[in-house]
Amino acid sequence: MSGVITGGWEYVWAAYGVTAAVLALFALSLWVRWRAASRGEGTAVPEEEW
Amino acid sequence: MTREEKSGRLGGAFLLIGVLLLLFGSYLGLAVAPRERFMGDVQRIMYVHVPTAWNAMLCLTAAFVFAVAYLWKGGWRWDCRLEGALEVGVLLSGLLCVQGSIWARPTWGVWWDWDPRLTTTAVMFFAFLGIIALRSFVDDPAQRATWAAVATIVAYVDVPIVYFSVRWWNSLHQMQSSPATVSPAFYLPLRTNAFGMLFVMAGFITLRARLARRRLAAQLAPPPALTRAAS
Amino acid sequence: MLSAALRKEALLQWRGLARTLAVLAFGGTALLLFSFAGGPDSGALREQAPGYLWLALLLSSTLALSESFDGEQEQRALEGLLLLPAPAAVLFYGKALANLLQLAALGSGLLPMAVVLYDMPLPRPWTLLGILVLGSAGLAAPGTLYAALSARARARQTLLPLLLFPLVVPVLVACVKATSLSVTGDPMGQLRSWTLLLVCFNAVYWPLCGLLFDRVVES
Repeated sequence: MSGVITGGWEYVWAAYGVTAAVLALFALSLWVRWRAASRGEGTAVPEEEW
Repeated sequence: MTREEKSGRLGGAFLLIGVLLLLFGSYLGLAVAPRERFMGDVQRIMYVHVPTAWNAMLCLTAAFVFAVAYLWKGGWRWDCRLEGALEVGVLLSGLLCVQGSIWARPTWGVWWDWDPRLTTTAVMFFAFLGIIALRSFVDDPAQRATWAAVATIVAYVDVPIVYFSVRWWNSLHQMQSSPATVSPAFYLPLRTNAFGMLFVMAGFITLRARLARRRLAAQLAPPPALTRAAS
Repeated sequence: MLSAALRKEALLQWRGLARTLAVLAFGGTALLLFSFAGGPDSGALREQAPGYLWLALLLSSTLALSESFDGEQEQRALEGLLLLPAPAAVLFYGKALANLLQLAALGSGLLPMAVVLYDMPLPRPWTLLGILVLGSAGLAAPGTLYAALSARARARQTLLPLLLFPLVVPVLVACVKATSLSVTGDPMGQLRSWTLLLVCFNAVYWPLCGLLFDRVVES
């Protein structure tokens, strides 16, 4: 590596932005799938230890 | 409170703590921490990249533990946790590869560097993605659980072997070291984000396992016509 | 018991010789296609030859492996075999050894084609044969386990390579490096460490897959 890297903030923002977006999208998908699984019959979950 | 409500609250709490820690840690990393001497501002990527790396590995280790627990002790709960850990592990390792290439571009001028850690992560991403595909192609719940557990163990054991093979393979190149994240000024954002990511991961696994449990219950339950006839 | 299981597999493969030859033809086609990707520059082709050889063997291996449980699947014979007073591990090792032999034979069949097409020199044929056997063993152990499991899943043609390819990255790396060292000469003595890596991979996966096979077939 030669010398000092100057600037590069756009890469920093890209890295943090991608991370935030991926985590948020996964949370959203969990929510959507949970709602879909909660609809309809036969969703009663047995309480005994599995 | 039912078991399901309990795990929902626990997962939500984990997620909340994790997000707060991540926000605080990222603020520290982006605004408070001093600029690194050689890497400049680009080094700030490390405050999110390194915690992701630790937790991706931790998550795959958790998947391995759940798989061993399912095969040895049995019990659907281990299968549900395995399903959660597999998905979150693939998510984190995929995210890690993207972060890694964003990091590689300004530092080494390429989008991909055949660094053993990054390459091992990419290999594991595809290996565990294959296991998720396997789960979706098997209909019988017991078969799916056993086979996914077996495949998880087989894939996890490969991690050190892949790491060393890539390291030797790439040994002609100069080993690229990470920039110094060891001086005290860099500790705090790194550790805060590491714990933040840990809580987010735990929350995701808990909530995803809860979803798996509900789906499995619907699959194992007798069809509605039978229940109605019986009552 | 193991010899009985191996004899059964070998007999089946001998009867299915036409299929093995078809897989060999597929590997040969792949070798031919790689030379179009590598360009007509014979120097570059010679340099890449070990990589192409192992990629062709890897691609053909999924065809060979995915068919290794077809017989059991069609006649539902696996249940019958499991009723025999023999541990499931014996069945696994019989199949895995038969697959190892088949892959090594396939590799030995592809080798002359690579020599002709890529002008690959062969200064140490016995070393190369040893690498071929070790590499085939590395593909055969996890390959047989995954074949047993993907044979009974949907979309098995996709599933087997999807599961197997990431896993055998160390085998591919080690075999390509060792082959090219045995072809171009080994001034630094690195061949030994790549061979060691292959031995380690096999030492981990042959026992592990035998252990886990029991759980795969009983479910």
